[in-house]
Amino acid sequence: MAGRAFPGEDRRVWLIIAAIVLGGALVIPLSQALFGLRFTYTVRVVALGGAILGVLSGALGCFAVLRRESLVGDALSHAALPGVAIAFLLAGRELSPLLIGAGVASWLGLRFVAALLTTTRIKQDTALGIVLASWFAAGIALLAYIQSIPDASQAGLDHFIFGQAAAIIESDVRLVSAVGAVVLLALALFWKEFKLVTFDAEFAGANGFRVGLINALLSTLVVVTIVLGLQLAGVILMVGMLIAPGVAARQWTQKLDQMVILAAVFGAFSGGLGAVISALDSDIPTGPMIIVVAFALVLMSLFLAPGRGLLWSRLRGRANRRRFAARNTLRDLYRYALAHGAAESPVPDAFIRGVGDRSAELGLSQLRGDGHVRLGADGWQLSQSGIDLARRDGRNQALWNVYRLHAHELNLPIVAEERYVDIASRLPAAAIAELERRLPGSAGG
Amino acid sequence: MMPLERFLIEFLLNFLTRGELNALLRSPQNTATLIGCLIAISGALLGVFLLLRGMSLTSDAISHTVLLGIVVAFLLMTKVFGVAGDTSSPWLILGASLAGVGTVLLTEMLYRSGLVRQDAALGLAFPLLFAIAVILVSRFVDDVHLDEDAVLVGEIGLAWANSNSHCFEHCETVTVTEDHPAAKMTRQCLNCRALGISPRDRRAEFIEVCGNCGDYSPARAWSAGLLEREPALVFFPKSIAVTSIMTLLTLAFVLVFYKELKLSTFDPALAMALGFRPGLMHYALMILVSLVAVGAFDAVGSILVIAFFIIPPAAAYLLTDRLALMLLLSPLIGAAGAYFGYDLARGQLFGFIPIAEGIAAVNRLFGLALIEAWDSSISASMVLMIFILFTLAWVLSPRYGLISTLIRRAIRRRLFEDQVVLAHIHNHQHTAQAATELRVATLHAHFRWTPRKMGRVLARLRALGFISIVAGGALLTERGDGHVHRFRKTMLEAHNMPGVD
Repeated sequence: MAGRAFPGEDRRVWLIIAAIVLGGALVIPLSQALFGLRFTYTVRVVALGGAILGVLSGALGCFAVLRRESLVGDALSHAALPGVAIAFLLAGRELSPLLIGAGVASWLGLRFVAALLTTTRIKQDTALGIVLASWFAAGIALLAYIQSIPDASQAGLDHFIFGQAAAIIESDVRLVSAVGAVVLLALALFWKEFKLVTFDAEFAGANGFRVGLINALLSTLVVVTIVLGLQLAGVILMVGMLIAPGVAARQWTQKLDQMVILAAVFGAFSGGLGAVISALDSDIPTGPMIIVVAFALVLMSLFLAPGRGLLWSRLRGRANRRRFAARNTLRDLYRYALAHGAAESPVPDAFIRGVGDRSAELGLSQLRGDGHVRLGADGWQLSQSGIDLARRDGRNQALWNVYRLHAHELNLPIVAEERYVDIASRLPAAAIAELERRLPGSAGG
Repeated sequence: MMPLERFLIEFLLNFLTRGELNALLRSPQNTATLIGCLIAISGALLGVFLLLRGMSLTSDAISHTVLLGIVVAFLLMTKVFGVAGDTSSPWLILGASLAGVGTVLLTEMLYRSGLVRQDAALGLAFPLLFAIAVILVSRFVDDVHLDEDAVLVGEIGLAWANSNSHCFEHCETVTVTEDHPAAKMTRQCLNCRALGISPRDRRAEFIEVCGNCGDYSPARAWSAGLLEREPALVFFPKSIAVTSIMTLLTLAFVLVFYKELKLSTFDPALAMALGFRPGLMHYALMILVSLVAVGAFDAVGSILVIAFFIIPPAAAYLLTDRLALMLLLSPLIGAAGAYFGYDLARGQLFGFIPIAEGIAAVNRLFGLALIEAWDSSISASMVLMIFILFTLAWVLSPRYGLISTLIRRAIRRRLFEDQVVLAHIHNHQHTAQAATELRVATLHAHFRWTPRKMGRVLARLRALGFISIVAGGALLTERGDGHVHRFRKTMLEAHNMPGVD
């Protein structure tokens, strides 16, 4: 399915992006007006923080999805935990050292995976599982040790596990926006390189790009994004936050730039909306709510996305099946009628159902709806339009048959033999004339 | 569960006296270690097949979903059917393992739709299910056995306390009724609350209520002082029964279906052609993984359990190429990790290296004031210990270890250097260019090596007696010449080319 562009897709994607941005911007005012909700300053800060983190993780997550490294995000986010704990032990409860600690720990995890992959025969998924479980265990052990210290300042450290959006304050949002701006700038600057190593690393290497370096930069950006998102979603759910917007965006478009922007918008939407919903009920944690909203977007995209979506492909499959059944049934009707006199002679219902079974049912209802047949007293009778259609189809099939037999000796252009398409639309007029001369029963044949 | 526990105890009583058994099970260390070992053995056995099938992270997905299954079953039990919730109830275990298999199906469905790749399908499915579980826990459940901490690390250290009592001798159940001598009768005011008056008020009406009436099991009766003779009791932790059943099931599965598992793991197409139904094996494996994950939930939580599935098999995979040996090594490594992990949690690395001294050293080094007593999560320490054992296997493995790989590479590099220099001399000696090509002082330039490296190689070759240096130029000795010819001959034969000489 990949690679096929659908007509009008470009404009449609931009329209969707604009609609979601508009809708997202209106969530707070609208819900205030419709449900009479009061949004305190805290809720606004949390929603803003969620939206900014959503933009970041959506944009970077696209690359993880496209490079088939979704689960790397999972391992990296779990691996951040011991870094948080060690940073706390060394520097206390300041956000930036905690984030730096988290980044260093997950980066070390990434190096460990790479070391395992290059020196042993262990596969990537197992290596990721090893790092995920043992780094996480180290984090849990350190947290348990920290909790045994009689000191109140450790409170809230375990929020890194499940995420605690309610604890986000304005200075956090400022930090996240500043670092996020740097990440997005780097993404824009190295756009071409990232695109190249994502889709064709060998080609990039052959053209003198330093693939290893670019990969390292890209994974560093992913690590930074994960570390920033930990506060909101927590180490366990961060992977969902990272890849769900990317998977959803992938369904709507075939272009990387559109996918990244759409994913960023989806991420912002789920981050903001999740935060708002969890503000309604203090028992609903924010991180999990964001994941649920993001997954709802994924489900919607999987079903509704034009072209790729399950709904459309189901509909398309149905339309194809009907068309195919109608054509075959028409052929059967016409052949029977000709064999029993004229094209108008009626065909017994039992015969056509016996020949076509289930597809005859489908075909007859389609043909009848289009006015090509009607059910008379002694059977199905072709109308004038039905006879014309059957004749045209018969001639088309005959021409395709000739094309198959003689294309080579007549030196005709080679086209795919799509028999349900009018051959005249695939071959030049001169070639059609050549084929017509060869038709069995014609003068030149 | 109860009859099974009783069977297990009766089996154990063949080897131990009742007192010994009780002492054994009442010790937190023994119980925790035993449960850890049982989980490690069953997880490590199944993990071998997951690893070989390239499905290691499926255990990750399953263990996350199992939480959702447990939470939903728990809510159904407590809120809908009004039964006391118990995370080791068989119904809960059954429901939760169905949920685990459900995730596998969901992931496969997402993946087969053709719209989402396999890794992304896994990465989408389990955060969602886990998120729903966390929302349900924090919204509807207020129970100490199912809070967020228990989800993460379990309660292996407290497993000994959550036990069933089994009576073997002098088993008297006591029913205390109102006329029993031990019955404690109290007066209760009937209408105080309704009228809002104090019990001293004249209008207050009283009835006599028995405070301790009811049926007493032998254990409760003894502790309430209702019995004269002490019943012979055995207190059996619930988790041990659950995990030992899991282990027995896993062992039986692997032993009985060893051939089928082996064939469907290494060559599913052949298995299919021979009529073995690899699909059936796949789902049987998934069901068992779910069962073990649920059984382990109480003890180690839903995330750390994946370490028991993934790390021991990976370590065994580095040590051997034989499936049977791997199936033996993997549980051994897991059990050893669980055993030493308890010591680690209590501050002893491998039982003899105290961690407190390490922290003290860190304090001295960075001028910090960290508390030196190390007392940490038992389940996390077990995982860390397994990881340490894995790292040891990685470094020390005779065939695939870091050290042996480095040695092998060094030997190969040395062999290559020797052969290349010998071949160079062989090609150029007795030719017109010999003077320029073989001058020792400039020889390194022909290979783009450093002079030091070339000096090292030449010294080695001279020591081996392959070359001699005559008037500043290198020449092959007779021995060296023979060596080059022999080497060429074997190489040419190995590559099926016609000989030269």
